[in-house]
Amino acid sequence: MTMLPYAVAAWLFGIGLYGIATSRNFIHLVGCLGICQSATYVLLLGLGYRWGSIAPIFYDHPPGTPAVDPVMQALVLTDIVVGATLTALLLVLTIQAYKRGGSLDPEKLRPMRAGGGSRRNQASSRADDGAGKTS
Amino acid sequence: MSPRIRVALLALAGLILLPCAATVIAGLPPFGATIAQYGERINAITPEARHVANMVSAINFDLRGLDTLGEEFMLLAAITGTVVLLRGRRGEGNTEHAMRRPGRAVIPRSEAVVLACRIAGPLTALFGLYVVVHATVTPGGGFQGGVILASATLLIYLGEGYAGWRDAIHSHWLDAMEGGGALLFALCGLAPMLTGAAFMQNVLPLGTFRDLFSGGLMLVENLGVALAVTGGFTQLFLEFMEETRAADEPDEPGEESA
Repeated sequence: MTMLPYAVAAWLFGIGLYGIATSRNFIHLVGCLGICQSATYVLLLGLGYRWGSIAPIFYDHPPGTPAVDPVMQALVLTDIVVGATLTALLLVLTIQAYKRGGSLDPEKLRPMRAGGGSRRNQASSRADDGAGKTS
Repeated sequence: MSPRIRVALLALAGLILLPCAATVIAGLPPFGATIAQYGERINAITPEARHVANMVSAINFDLRGLDTLGEEFMLLAAITGTVVLLRGRRGEGNTEHAMRRPGRAVIPRSEAVVLACRIAGPLTALFGLYVVVHATVTPGGGFQGGVILASATLLIYLGEGYAGWRDAIHSHWLDAMEGGGALLFALCGLAPMLTGAAFMQNVLPLGTFRDLFSGGLMLVENLGVALAVTGGFTQLFLEFMEETRAADEPDEPGEESA
């Protein structure tokens, strides 16, 4: 029982990583990265917890009452904020990849080429290329 | 690389890492038995040293304020990157009003949704402000309250529609809030140096414990974070919304609607 939170964190990280490795869609991949990140929340909060302690806010309880580790909670707060903006940034990159490559599949991601006046034509032909190669 | 080889590689890496991870987990203190000395000392000292009831805010804005400054600029950089990438084709000129895709139907909203949003929107904003200003007293702070405030602006979108939302929210204000909040936080670090104190030293009067005005400089930093988070997240919503309105063809003229 004493190892359960750490095991949950490891399991979350593991399935997130499995999802990333087998992902066929960028949006799914961003979601899997979010799962990996939630493993860090569980790990940090688990490390900072102590049975019988209060939250580290001494409003209702006088200072000196045993409280859980506030450093871990501050770290998780930081983690969540960074995670939210990172998700936004990755979703924008997804939009750009879809616009350039015409596909959300990481398998079909091709190196970007300079120039390319008729972007849409190029994009559709490249998507066809990818489909032809994989099938 | 075919998906099968990739999964095999992942399994191999997992097999190699598994004993290492197991050793580390076995070496960790049992769950719930003890906490780190650093956190213990902060809990013991900070309420008297800083007159602050919320330890998490005390760490974010005072004890480890420099780290939060870094995080603040990470937030700024991520949002700037998002906006730059999204605006790529639309260019720097952001329209002040909502663009409407010609040919896309405007779906009318039900009156129940409008009413619910008109009631919930201001209440959410009020709650967000409450969470922001009570950062040093009760659970909350600039990050959490800022996100609630940004959600309140989304309720305007849900209730009033996109055109109404864009009339209420101005992109330039959001830029100013986002950058100004980060600037305010940086100035909070630099200003004490003018008086001969250290970087981000809490030089303002600390106030009374368990009072709204407690924590000194933390209150100003908290305000800066709240401004930056509210502005930044609303800016994200706005840019993503604008993206759904972008014309498919670069030359297609947009139609303005009030």
